[in-house]
Formats: sequence, structure tokens, C-alpha cells
Amino acid sequence: METKYLNVWKNELDICIRCGYCFEKCPVFGVLNWESDTPRGKAILAYGLLSGEIEPSQELADKFFQCTFCRECLGSCSADVKLIDLFSAARADMITAGFAHDAHKYMVESVKKTGNIFNDSELKAPVSEGETTVYLGCQYLGRGNLTKTYLNILEKLGIKPRVKEEICCGFPFMALGFRDEFEEHRKKFLEMFPEEDIIALCPTCAAFLEEEYGKKVRHVMEVIAERVPEAKLGGKVTYHDPCDFSRELGLIDEPREILEKIGVEVVEMPRNKKDSSCCGGGGGILMSDAELSGRIADGRIREAVATGAEMLVTPCPTCEKVLKEASMALNKEGENNIPVRNICQLIWKAIK
Amino acid sequence: MKQEIIDKLKAIVGEENIRTDPADRYIYGSDSSVHVANADVVLRPRTTEQVQAIARLANAEKIPIIPRGAGSGMSGHAVPIDGGIVLDMKRMNKILEIRPEDTLVKVQPGVVDDDLNRALKPYGFMFPPAPASSRIATIGGEIANNASGIRSVKYGATRDSVLGMKVVLANGDLVNLGANTRVEASGYQLDRLMVGSEGTLGIIVEATLKLVPIPKYRCIGIAKFDKLEEAGEAICDVISSGAQPSMLELMDNIAITAVNNTLDMGLPDVEAILLFEADGMVKEAVDFEMERIKAICEKHNGFGIEMSYDAKERARIYAGRKKLFASLSRYKEGYACTSLADDMAVPYSKMAETARKIHDVADKNNIIMTAYGHCGSGVMHTKILMDPTKKEQWEDARRAVEEIYDYVRSIGGTTSAEHGIALSKAPSWKKEKADQLDLMRAVKKAFDPNNILNPHKLMDAPDDWVTATKLRYPVEK
Ligand SMILES: Cc1cc2nc3c(=O)[nH]c(=O)nc-3n(C[C@H](O)[C@H](O)[C@H](O)COP(=O)(O)OP(=O)(O)OC[C@H]3O[C@@H](n4cnc5c(N)ncnc54)[C@H](O)[C@@H]3O)c2cc1C
Ligand code: SF4
Ligand code: SF4
Repeated sequence: METKYLNVWKNELDICIRCGYCFEKCPVFGVLNWESDTPRGKAILAYGLLSGEIEPSQELADKFFQCTFCRECLGSCSADVKLIDLFSAARADMITAGFAHDAHKYMVESVKKTGNIFNDSELKAPVSEGETTVYLGCQYLGRGNLTKTYLNILEKLGIKPRVKEEICCGFPFMALGFRDEFEEHRKKFLEMFPEEDIIALCPTCAAFLEEEYGKKVRHVMEVIAERVPEAKLGGKVTYHDPCDFSRELGLIDEPREILEKIGVEVVEMPRNKKDSSCCGGGGGILMSDAELSGRIADGRIREAVATGAEMLVTPCPTCEKVLKEASMALNKEGENNIPVRNICQLIWKAIK
Repeated sequence: MKQEIIDKLKAIVGEENIRTDPADRYIYGSDSSVHVANADVVLRPRTTEQVQAIARLANAEKIPIIPRGAGSGMSGHAVPIDGGIVLDMKRMNKILEIRPEDTLVKVQPGVVDDDLNRALKPYGFMFPPAPASSRIATIGGEIANNASGIRSVKYGATRDSVLGMKVVLANGDLVNLGANTRVEASGYQLDRLMVGSEGTLGIIVEATLKLVPIPKYRCIGIAKFDKLEEAGEAICDVISSGAQPSMLELMDNIAITAVNNTLDMGLPDVEAILLFEADGMVKEAVDFEMERIKAICEKHNGFGIEMSYDAKERARIYAGRKKLFASLSRYKEGYACTSLADDMAVPYSKMAETARKIHDVADKNNIIMTAYGHCGSGVMHTKILMDPTKKEQWEDARRAVEEIYDYVRSIGGTTSAEHGIALSKAPSWKKEKADQLDLMRAVKKAFDPNNILNPHKLMDAPDDWVTATKLRYPVEK
């Protein structure tokens, strides 16, 4: 098998000491409980592909797709191995070898055709003239009400958002392994978004715009945290830290400060901040393995219910969606559940 | 493996707990050592009865069984050198009973050390062996390897914290070893034999562990030394003075440089650092210990001494040691950090000399080695840093390992203080225990006449660790 992308990480695989520390908190291992589903297991498989000791197959490819890209393993690794880059390289090589996941293929084709992951050419950004470019990202593009709320908040806080026609940031190409096809998209994206400074609504897009395009990105929560006035909304919520948000962008205090300022009490789940556990929605598993995604989400929503908070809030549209479904599933089973909301809904209610 | 046997195994554990595909067999063929070998089948038993049924079948068919915890062993412990069944014990992970009034806990073998300690915390107790790998290491693996850690200087190794256990023998019989009491008089202490047996004598399915109270106060200190020998003398003096540190760690200059280079930790560029800690229920007693140790360090020209009770400060002082592994992995481009000759124990009086010897051997053999470790328990850790893709580097490593172990035995030290023997350390260990090997083989035969339990490890391991199995690195032909 050709290992064009994995070749780059040959040395990284030798640096890994195979200690297994990375599987301690891996949500996929937490649910499936086979070592083959751990980050170490995936790294060993990547080595097997490179050395030719392991033959590529759909089952093998699926193991690389069973990852939420939650970055938990990066923090646990005792040798600082670039696991996420490694997995995304393995995905790319598996795709070149003909083992793409159908659902992932569909998503990428959708982006190529319509500019967004929903395959919906009617979906348009609420274009507006303004001073600061705001990038919505597909998930918010698909949820007009939430987007409007964020834009209202920004205006209320004295920022004139400039919303342009958008295409997907390109994260799905890279994360799902369609690297060869990314280059063209990248050019298109840069033509549409040449500006350096961008406010992003979605945590994943924010991290990707920074990492991949070197943009100076501010997540909308940072901007709100600086300007939000005091309010007395009241209530008790638990806050879910999205993986990209806390572990990659390091945005941990900002949402908590905002909630405190608007008079909302935060009760923490046992796993919070950089140690937050994954909602189960990332890395493409929502499409390729919805059951696994649901089982991971179930663990997280139960943590939230146990806090006794009135609701769970989060700034990530994917986390929100996945956790909402998990909460509904609890309700269906006759168990206690918890309402799930995007954090912008509370902020707007407090300051409008 | 014959389909008929696979079907029978499937009937025992259920379809969802058996894997035979190439990817799983490959992954379960490696651990944290340099060795790899494919498994034939991987099973995840849930109950003692399932483990018994598996053993009965494997014994009748003479198929190897390799019990496996987290696979964090560093010498090829869980590597299935002859193929066979890898028995993943991680799903037998229930804490069965916490009995603070008897200061004991009963657990299944797949319980992770840190999970156990988290569960014990509200009761004010801890299970003290604390290997650095406690976040993933299982109690079964810790018992089988007799693991220990930074606090073994005060609390001992796993052996000192095990009261009893239930073990499935090779023929499927279940035996109840040891007792639930603090002391047990004479008779063959088979529970003790099981500790450190590396999965070769039986499969542990339950353990009764001794607990100690969590100390109320913990204070950590750091002392710097311009001469490694002076740090070595300080270690000797601390221990022989009757002081009771709960941790006494050494880092040599290579370890310091590694941490500084890769993690920008800003540790002082000295020949050695000693990290020391005391703990206890009474602050004055902890102060007393810390002052004693500090004075001894000063007597041996230790300087820049800092001490703190504050949790954040303690974490800062210990950070360099904690991150050492990561920095060794990235010490030199193209080099890998291998666990070879990694944990000998030597007499306290030979600590500094051993560190020097390690450096000399490394220089002579074109590899890099560092010396650090739980010197309060006489443990000298090292790692061999080398280019693992070069065939000649494995020859260099082979020579270095042999020279170091010859030296360790010559000064009355031992091959492995805490990580265990398995494959990589077997050649030296067999030399060290030459007079006992026949006796050990007789014991093995009594427990496991068909040699199915983790075969060809310890006294039965190959004489050359380099060729014992395939190596996990892409060594050029
Ligand atoms: C980064 C790192 C740091 C480490 N630090 C330390 C340290 O500070 N101190 C220390 O002592 N060790 C240390 N180790 C080594 C290792 O983690 C320990 O030996 C640990 O106890 C192994 O536990 P495990 O669950 O991973 O066992 P495994 O590696 O899976 O197995 C180890 C042995 O135990 C046997 N075994 C496992 N379960 C059972 C069972 N139920 N019944 C019978 N036999 C069984 C296996 O057959 C094998 O022979 C470290 C390892 C790494 C990678
Ligand atoms: S990124 Fe998350 S899901 Fe993926 S291997 Fe790492 S810890 Fe597991
Ligand atoms: S924690 Fe890092 S070094 Fe250890 S097995 Fe995982 S990737 Fe390898």
C-alpha cells in the first residue's frame, strides 16, 4: 500500500514508547474497551501499514475512523507524539487505497458541490456590511436562529459584523482524510477570505482557520467576554467545554466569566476545562458510527444530569446537537435528563 | 488456531468478547517493550468461571495463555512469544469490597491503580505502590510484576501491600491464596510466590490488598549538586541516618539537559539534582524529616535547596522529573528511547559510581544513557537512546546492556528493581539467579505442567534478547 502521508510520521512512530498512557481517557476506548480502539492501538496499526506487516482493509480503515479527534490523547501522551496528525495521515492513505467511508465521501462531495456539508445550495449566509469579518461555518450556517443570536449579541456589544458569502473552512477534507482534494478547496477558500483577522462562531472552524491558514482568529466568546455587561439572569447551569475550544484554543475561563457576569451560577461536571470529556460528535464518527457517537454522548450527558443543574450550555453547535439527542434519548428511556442549549441563548436573554 | 477451538472460546466468552482479525492480533502482540509477536486470538473474560473454562480448554489443547493488563510492561511481559490466547483482563475491573475498618480492599485484577486510589480517597486510605504508570496499570499487572514507584522508599513494593488473592491455575482450578489478615504465620506463602511471577504461574482473578492512611501533610524539596558523587553520598547518608523520606529521587545531568532542551524547564545545569519528600499525619514530624534531609544535603554541598507544602509549588518542583520520559523520547532527532537495562537496584553506597559507570558504558558503545531514579530504594533507572533503525545500534545496545549488568552483579546489585524480567532482562537475570533456575523450573512445572502460562519468559526466555522476538522498530536489513 502507498503510504504517502504516513511516511512523514515514520519517526514519530519510533518516538512513541507504546506506554499506553494515551488510552486512559480516550472516549472511544472508554466505550468499546478493546485496545485496538485506543490511540496506542491506532499508532501500532499505522506502524503496521508503514512496515507492510498489516494489509489495508475496510475494517482497518474503520478503526482509524473511530476517533472523535477530541485531542484527549495528546494531553496524556508521555512522549508528545502528534497522534491527531498521525491518524489523519492514516485516514488519507486509507482513502487513497480505496477505503473511504461512504458517509464521509458524501460529506466532502457535498462541500465540493454546494460549499457546505449539508449538500444544500440554498443555504446562504445572512450577508451584511460591517467592520469585522465574522465566519459562521457550516454548522451555524445551517442554524440561522443561533447565528442571528450571535450577530445580535455582537451588535449589542458595539461590533459591526461583516458577514460574507461562505464556503466550508475545509476541516472535513483534512480531518476525514481527503487531503488530495483539499488543495483546490483551500485556494477557493483563501480567495473568498483573504482577510487576516476573523471572528469565528464555531470552535472547530476557529481552530482550523488558525492552524491551517495561519489566520488571526478570535472566537466570538473571547470578544463577548471582553465586552459583556453585568446582568442578573439567575439560574444554575453546567458548562460543557468543547474539545477544540478548551484543549486547542485554550478558551476555558472566558465562557465561565461570561456566565458569572450575567448572573448565572456554574456547577462543574467532574470532568471539566482541559480535562473535559468528549461529546462524541467530532472526527466524523457522527456520520460513520452514530451508535458509538451516541454511547459517548450518553456518558457525558449523564455527568451533566448528575450535577443537578437546570441546563447544560456549550458554545459548540455540534456538541449542542449531539448532547441534545443524548438527553432526549434519556428522556425516552424514562430517565432524568437535562435541557441542552447554546450558550448564546442565555447571553442574549441576559443582555438584550 | 483451529476453527473448532475458536468456536469453543466464543461459546465461553460470547461473540463480542473474542477477536481474531489480523489488526487485533497485531496490536495485542506488543507492549511497552522493544518486542513484538502476534497473538492468535484475543479474549476479554468477564468472570472467574470464564477464565477457568478458558484455562481448561487451553490446557487440554496445550495453547499458550498470556494474561494481559494494560500492556505497559517494559520488557515484553505480555508479548505472546509463542502466539496463543491473549487474555485481556481489563474488563474484570470491579472494586468488590472496601473495608476501611480492616484496612483492606478486595478487587478484580483489571482495576486500574488510579481508579482504585480515587475510590479509596473518600475513606482516607490509599494503595501505596504508585508506579509512574498508575493511570493505566492494572492491579493484576502490578501484582504479577511486583511494581513499585517513587514512594516505595517508605511504603515498599506491591509485594508489601498484598494480603491474598484468588488464582486460576493452568488446569482451570481456582485457589484461594494468602489471608485477609495483616499477618499469617508459616507454611508456603504461595500468594507471595505469585507476586512477581509475571503471569507464568496462574491467572489472578481477585486480590485482597492492604491499605494505608493518606498522609495529611506532604512536603517536597529539591537540592542541587555540582558533583554527582556528592549527591550519591547524600543519598547514602539520608538512608543510613534513619531519616524517613517518602520519596528520594536522583536526576543526572543528561536527564536535566533532556528536560531543559525539550521542555524548556529551566532546571539548573548541575551534575545532579536530588528531589526529596516527607509525609505524615503531624506537620512537626514532616518538618523534622525535611530539615534532617536538608541538613544532610547541605553537608554534602547540596545548594539552592527549596522546600514546599503547597500543592502548586510541589507540582512545579516535581515537573521536571515527571516530564523526563517525554523529554528523553525527544532528546535527539532520529533517536528513540528504549526500555533496556532500565531499572537495576544497587547498594546505596554504589549509587554515584553506578551513574558514572552508566555514562562510561554509553560513551564506549555509541549510545546515550541517562541515570535517574528512585534512589531512596536503591533503584537506578536509565533508558537507552539510540537510532533504532540501524542494525549496528542494536549490537551497541546489546554490548552496553551486558556490560552494565555485569557491573551491577559485580557490586551486589540486581537486574530489575521494579519493572520485571520477561524477555529483555532475562539473559542477565538468568546469570544472576543461575543457582536457582532449576528450582524455579520445577516450581513452574508444578503449577503449569504443560507450560501454557506466559511461556518462554523469565528462566525459560531466550538467551539473546535482541533476537528473542521481532523488534518493534524498522531495523534496516
Ligand atoms: C511510562 C511507564 C512508566 C512505568 N513506571 C513504572 C514504575 O514507576 N514502577 C514500576 O514498577 N513499573 C513501571 N512501569 C512498568 C509497568 O507499568 C508495570 O510493571 C505495571 O505494573 C504493569 O501493569 P499492566 O497492567 O500494564 O500489566 P501488563 O504489562 O499487561 O502485564 C504485565 C505482566 O503481568 C501479567 N499479568 C497481567 N494481569 C495478570 C493477571 N490478572 N494474572 C496474572 N498475570 C497477569 C502479564 O502476563 C505480564 O506478564 C512503567 C511502564 C511505563 C510504560
Ligand atoms: S483524539 Fe480522542 S477519540 Fe481520538 S484517539 Fe485520541 S483520545 Fe481517542
Ligand atoms: S501515550 Fe504517547 S508514547 Fe505512550 S503509547 Fe500513546 S502515543 Fe505512544
